[in-house]
Amino acid sequence: MLGSGSPAFLTTRLDFVVNWARRNSLWPMPFGTACCAIEMMASAASNFDLARFGMERMSFSPRQADVLICAGRVPYKLAPVLRRIWDQMMQPKWCISMGACASSGGVFDVYSMVQGIDTIVPVDVYIPGCPPRPEGLIYGLMMVQEKIRGESLANHADLRAEDPLAAGRPRADDREVTDLTGPFGNSTHQNRVSGLVATDAVGRSEDRLP
Amino acid sequence: MTRSKAPPGSFFDLAAAGAGAVDTPAAASETAAVPPCNPSVDALRERFPDGVLRNEVSAGDQDVVYVHPARLVEMLGWLHENPDQQYDHLADVTAVDHGGGRPIEVVYQLWSIPHRAALRVKCELPLDSLEIDTVTGIWVGANWLEREVYDLFGVHFTGHPDLRRILMPEGYAEGHPLRKDFPLRGRFSRAEQTRRALTQDPEDYYMPGEIGGRVPQLVAEDAGGDAEEEDDVD
Repeated sequence: MLGSGSPAFLTTRLDFVVNWARRNSLWPMPFGTACCAIEMMASAASNFDLARFGMERMSFSPRQADVLICAGRVPYKLAPVLRRIWDQMMQPKWCISMGACASSGGVFDVYSMVQGIDTIVPVDVYIPGCPPRPEGLIYGLMMVQEKIRGESLANHADLRAEDPLAAGRPRADDREVTDLTGPFGNSTHQNRVSGLVATDAVGRSEDRLP
Repeated sequence: MTRSKAPPGSFFDLAAAGAGAVDTPAAASETAAVPPCNPSVDALRERFPDGVLRNEVSAGDQDVVYVHPARLVEMLGWLHENPDQQYDHLADVTAVDHGGGRPIEVVYQLWSIPHRAALRVKCELPLDSLEIDTVTGIWVGANWLEREVYDLFGVHFTGHPDLRRILMPEGYAEGHPLRKDFPLRGRFSRAEQTRRALTQDPEDYYMPGEIGGRVPQLVAEDAGGDAEEEDDVD
């Protein structure tokens, strides 16, 4: 029963039971800041009934939540709040970035807006859309379930390790933030400094649309 | 005082007629060729002949009065107190930056509930002296509105009881975002903005009284009220 070399029978069975329990009782921590939150509420309501998949209870306390659903745009003023909520959640925990604004800043490529919450917290699943339909959110949550299905207690330390010194700090370092938040889409026609002073957008000419 | 609302299309009729029959003050600009819809404009001009710089009609029936910044509080106070005016509702305080080094306009949108009349008062402030007296002494509600104008345009309201940023974080160091010379994505790099954002303590944005200290204070101040209640019970 306890084989060697390959994962032991007992370990895989234990993984299955633990993952089954985890993925079928994902309690979301709703961090809704904009119209995506309306779709999130619709997902929890009777038409779409998120509770079918184990997201039985929206947990408004981060300490009793498993998956953070960031639904909506996050301004820099709210970034420390988001990070603190993520730090307060207990392992195992996952994060869903719902909608264009949470994933990339969306149309809000402006001075006040976080350009993707993955610069602040680690994100497991990005849901595109503006806003995504409830089916999209449900699909994203089921992708989290699939991700949990593939986890193993054998590498639990790797998957779930958290550096205590990382609490309250950006997830991405400066260089990664620059890469993640570079101008794209229509915003390539804008300049960092108005008045056509040389900017990042101009310097990275490959980013500019023809 | 009769206050009849201008009929639809009156703006175009009067503009076509050239408004020659109406005596407009000599100091008025070309746009003031349209006579004001609101009698408060003429009353204001009569009461403060040197305070009113010019007036115009915007969007058909919205009267705009440009006043001298030094006389602003006095004039707004008169508009608030005078029984024929009674502008008791300050709907909005905002500002306009036209860019190109032109002065910043501070806009006061007034509404008189008894007379059902709207009046827009503007003050032009040159960029090198963005200072104006506060109107919180007239309308208490101007407090947060003036904080917003200070936050986003950098206009200093002298005499304001609590002039802090209200929308941007307290430690925001990039300037005043709604100014025309402010770059769209801010002055710092995204990495710097992210780092600065996360070094902020969210609770620093509030004064201790706003977080929790104020409620017990109110209870303590109501100690006299408690005595009255006891009298009522007796």
